[in-house]
Amino acid sequence: MAQELVFFKYIDDPNQHKIDTYIEHGGYQAIQKVLKDFKPPDVIAKVKESGVRGRGGAGFPAGLKWSFVPQNTGKPIYLACNGDESEPGTCKDRVIMENDPHMLIEGIMICCYAINAHHAFIYIRGEFAFPAARVEGAVNEAYAKGYLGKNIFNSGFDLDVVVHTGGGAYICGEETALLSSLEGSRGNSRIRPPFPAVSGLYKCPTVINNVETLSSLPSIFNNGIEWYRSHGTEKSPGTKIFSLSGNVNKPGNYEVDLGTPLSYVINELGGGMQDGHKLKAIIPGGSSTPLLMPDQIDTPLDYESMAAAGSMLGSGAIIVIDERCCMVWALMKLINFYAHESCGRCTPCREGTAWLKQLINRIENGEGQQGDIELILDACDNIIGRTICPLGDAAVMPTRSFIKHFRDEFEYHIEHKTCKVKTDYPFV
Amino acid sequence: MSDNGKEKEQITLTIDGQSVTVDKGTTVLEAAGQIGIHIPTFCWHPKLDSIGACRMCLVAVEKFPKPAVACATEVMPDMIVKTNTDDIVKARRGVLEFLLLNHPLDCPTCDKGGECDLQDNVFHFGIDKSRQTFTRHRVIDEDTHTTFDDKRIGPEVIRNMNRCVTCYKCVRFNKEIAGEYDLGAYERGNHTVIDAPPGEQIDNFYSGNVVEICPVGALTNTDWRYKVRNWVAKKADSVCSHDADGQNITLWYDQRQLWRTTSRRNDAVDEGWLCNIARYGYQYINSPDRLKQPLIKKEGKQVPASWDEAIDLIARRFKEIKEKKGSVCLAGLLGGNQSVETAYLFNKFFRNKLKTNNLDYRLEYIDLKGSDENESYNCLYRAQFKIADLEKADVVLVFASNFIKDHPSVNLRLRKAYRKFGTQVYTVNPVETKSADISIDEMVYAPDMETAFVAGMIHAIIDNKLYKNIDAAKASEIKSKLTPESLAEAARMCGIEENRFVALAKKLAEAKYPFILAGDYLMASTKRHRTANGLYNIANLLGIPDTNAAILASQANSLGADRVGVRPNLSPNLTKTLEEKWGEAVPESAGSNTSQIFKNILDEEIDAVFVLGANPAMRYPDGPFVNSALDKLDFLVVADLFETATSLKADVVLPLAGWSEQSGAFVNLEGRYQRFDKALPSGPGIKTGIDIINAIADAMELPLGLNTAELTKEAKDIVDGFVRIPRDVNKFFEVRQAQIPEHQEYPYRLMIGNDLHHFGYVTEHCPSLMRFTPEPYLEISPNLAERLGIENDTLVRVESTTGKLVLKAKLSEHFEGEVLFIPNNFAATEVNSLISREGGGWVKIEKLDDK
Repeated sequence: MAQELVFFKYIDDPNQHKIDTYIEHGGYQAIQKVLKDFKPPDVIAKVKESGVRGRGGAGFPAGLKWSFVPQNTGKPIYLACNGDESEPGTCKDRVIMENDPHMLIEGIMICCYAINAHHAFIYIRGEFAFPAARVEGAVNEAYAKGYLGKNIFNSGFDLDVVVHTGGGAYICGEETALLSSLEGSRGNSRIRPPFPAVSGLYKCPTVINNVETLSSLPSIFNNGIEWYRSHGTEKSPGTKIFSLSGNVNKPGNYEVDLGTPLSYVINELGGGMQDGHKLKAIIPGGSSTPLLMPDQIDTPLDYESMAAAGSMLGSGAIIVIDERCCMVWALMKLINFYAHESCGRCTPCREGTAWLKQLINRIENGEGQQGDIELILDACDNIIGRTICPLGDAAVMPTRSFIKHFRDEFEYHIEHKTCKVKTDYPFV
Repeated sequence: MSDNGKEKEQITLTIDGQSVTVDKGTTVLEAAGQIGIHIPTFCWHPKLDSIGACRMCLVAVEKFPKPAVACATEVMPDMIVKTNTDDIVKARRGVLEFLLLNHPLDCPTCDKGGECDLQDNVFHFGIDKSRQTFTRHRVIDEDTHTTFDDKRIGPEVIRNMNRCVTCYKCVRFNKEIAGEYDLGAYERGNHTVIDAPPGEQIDNFYSGNVVEICPVGALTNTDWRYKVRNWVAKKADSVCSHDADGQNITLWYDQRQLWRTTSRRNDAVDEGWLCNIARYGYQYINSPDRLKQPLIKKEGKQVPASWDEAIDLIARRFKEIKEKKGSVCLAGLLGGNQSVETAYLFNKFFRNKLKTNNLDYRLEYIDLKGSDENESYNCLYRAQFKIADLEKADVVLVFASNFIKDHPSVNLRLRKAYRKFGTQVYTVNPVETKSADISIDEMVYAPDMETAFVAGMIHAIIDNKLYKNIDAAKASEIKSKLTPESLAEAARMCGIEENRFVALAKKLAEAKYPFILAGDYLMASTKRHRTANGLYNIANLLGIPDTNAAILASQANSLGADRVGVRPNLSPNLTKTLEEKWGEAVPESAGSNTSQIFKNILDEEIDAVFVLGANPAMRYPDGPFVNSALDKLDFLVVADLFETATSLKADVVLPLAGWSEQSGAFVNLEGRYQRFDKALPSGPGIKTGIDIINAIADAMELPLGLNTAELTKEAKDIVDGFVRIPRDVNKFFEVRQAQIPEHQEYPYRLMIGNDLHHFGYVTEHCPSLMRFTPEPYLEISPNLAERLGIENDTLVRVESTTGKLVLKAKLSEHFEGEVLFIPNNFAATEVNSLISREGGGWVKIEKLDDK
């Protein structure tokens, strides 16, 4: 059976980003239905029932998140749409923002109506100039049609949407740092509690949802819960975009039902291993997730199965590594990224990631010392679970996983001052 | 709004096996502290919002998936907390290891050594081995391979980034407490740099605090740096000797000199934050320019003399004048920052021994026609306002006061009330002030329109029937005694739209616990009694609590001098108290206040004046008048720390000890009696005010008969026994805006007063403060400057009917229109020569072509 598409249904239509085309394709019907037929709590109930889970990485049920928003504080409620897609390997939100921005806007409208928000902010990473321009254009079109602003579709519901671009920091994809940045401050993460749902943007109740999460909402209200739940698994319903990269023949973004085997994405959609090389390891959910090994290639791509396999579905960025890749080098690239992107707020992440970077670079450069591996692992113990936000964990998880599965390569590096993997690797 | 006073919900939890019950909202860290369990920290500060950044305070909480930061985790019922598990100790040791990775360990030469949180925590956790094998670089510029070195990031702040533990306390203090943005964190990760914004420096008025709260030696200041080790320095509890807020300080000194000031947190007053004047304003004590021996004028020249010679001469001349011309020909002027004891002895000497009522401490304001005895003014001036009460305020009107300058601690408390409790602030001033950023409406009235503004407010209250406790007939009677006669007219005169008066009046009327606080612009107004009448009426019309409508005193012991009676007229209660203590009646003759004393000198009715710790020749805002009087005076005695414009005119000059060289007490603007201890004694040849008064009295054979303990007790008894006549809620005064003198040729209104970083006439002798403001200037609005072709540092001639000066211009965004300001803290620039009662402070200015 051919995969039914939600996000990529009109991916081939070059005019899909335009409001008229979007409307032609049935756009802005869901929000009209919602405004006409639903009370806000019913929208939340419906979304809970659909089982749609946050697509930013954590997989937290969206409807449940919305239900945490207190409605009687006298403060405004905000929605912050997280379009700061920065996890290495991930490029799914970008496609939605570029090709179908109105789907996102319609999703934002549904969410805002449900949580009683009248201001939504779309936070887009600074490097995404083109997607940001597309979203901004779409917001302007929506305003021009009266779909945003006051009294939307004569429902009495008001909503303003602001597009805000970041300054180019990975950390601003972390929800509390995103809020700091949105407020005009340095992008530092904040301690929780209080959770943003209670005290977020400007200390007001705030929902933060990923672009993909919000974009899935129109299809739920257009096609119904049953239809939505017919995709994916019981606990991970719906479709999801996977960003496939690394040593495969056809890297790219692929939308499949959750629960689809990883092997299907790599071998069928991705055209198999690059030039017939041998699979060595897979980073399944963005660079911070632990490795899957070749014997785990049939793991279904859903939150539960990935967790059972010892990794995470994460943001759905699948990075395929073949036998030519030196894992010390690969880890060095990752840790350099995390050390560079640590915001500097809390000690273990700020100092720890920089130390890991020094140690792993030393091993990669043939200057490793006996005991370095143990030192790295011990430093990891002092970082993970000790930091304000998950960035520290994100640096530790691949470090532990790489050493766990490929310790021999690290030891070889230290002992022989050179690399065990002798072949030319295309990305070095 | 604050829930101070409300019963708070109690929560019981267990920490390390001990049960503790605390208020809801308490953090685990604070709860642990209450039962003596110390949890180590770097980034936590009791007065700052917790950010949980250093991760040193991690604790294990049962049912929590991972360790929690004690500093930001609020207690929950039945919580079980462990602060000392193996896992927690490992986590803390991990944090310390991380912090030490690139720390230079230059403790032997670090000023923080001995009082450093990093040292203490590492010592406690016994980390004696390093696993760090890389070169220690806190930050490396990867392109140039350079490391950070010391950098002066402000007039008084030197940053050593290598030592920084990135706790952000400095940046957080600046932003949260002071509302300043001249310090920030730049770059990212372990390249994070604490620095001033590009092209700027950290020079805000509270910037010294960032040095004090730095847990390590990353931020140091120049007065203390590399000078003395903190464990050999001695400490004395003290109180700031400048403004009236009474910031509590600790003086650090050794046998050579005073070295620094740190805060001595008093939550009722300062909450542990010091302004730069409180922090660096001690330095005048160390000045090499101090007077070191008495001087006697001989043949028109002041020449050194012995103390005996000087005291004998004073005693002889005072006696002569007293006997030949009568007691009314003697007068005493006392500075507002002399101790309560000095003030009381001064009073006793003049009233009880010299038998004159000619004495005053209010030497910096023009007073006309005895308005210092104005009932409304004195009632508001002696209001028992409490700084901490501001946290309960819902609406605060700051009237005629540049709060940051006049009242640094009250200003911070107001900012706290705004930030934490949503207090609504309105400010009304002749220029825009720093408080603008927290004000709902910042109103700027035309020069000298204080009274018109309050009259306008009364119109707004009555027109909109916002008054309480009176009927319509009474309201219209009050309204009929106002000039200007309508809100419209008041609005026109002030240059403030009518609706803004009404909005403020409504806010104050609706408020449950409003405040009206007035400050130095009001005191500097020659018509302050008229304005005070209006404030009194407003407070009564709106039912503002008696303690909450106040005119705030301006000098360290202004209220102390007021309480013990250093003024010509005494309340019946104080008269009675003094007569009981002295065993005889106070003189019946009418006394003269400061202005009357000068006038009486000119009228040859006063022949001798004793000035103790004051400099009216420089500070009294009518230079020609005061100087002609002092020049005419037959016999002038001045006791002071420095040669001053006043001392240069004296027949006898006595070197005076500073406040830190004796113990004593000040009474702050709340009426709070605060003792300060003696630090380093004064050098030989210098005497305290008390010793000087006693010596003169003894030489005149009029001994005052009080030893130190008796003096301290008597002075304190009088302060404690102060009884204020509360505001009479049924009393309403006439409020009449005065005519502004003709000044066509002189179109600009010149205001004089303290520079932000100076206070009075002694701070010129504080090198640190001179780094902030080294010279006087003419502050001018950008629009006026542009019109006259004036830029920053352009030389400008300022001319009034009585004098002229040349100064550098300083353009200020706070100024708009035709108002100018010159600080009167610099001896070389006689700013008060431009001001006279007749001229009213109006001047013209002219750009000078070239230097």
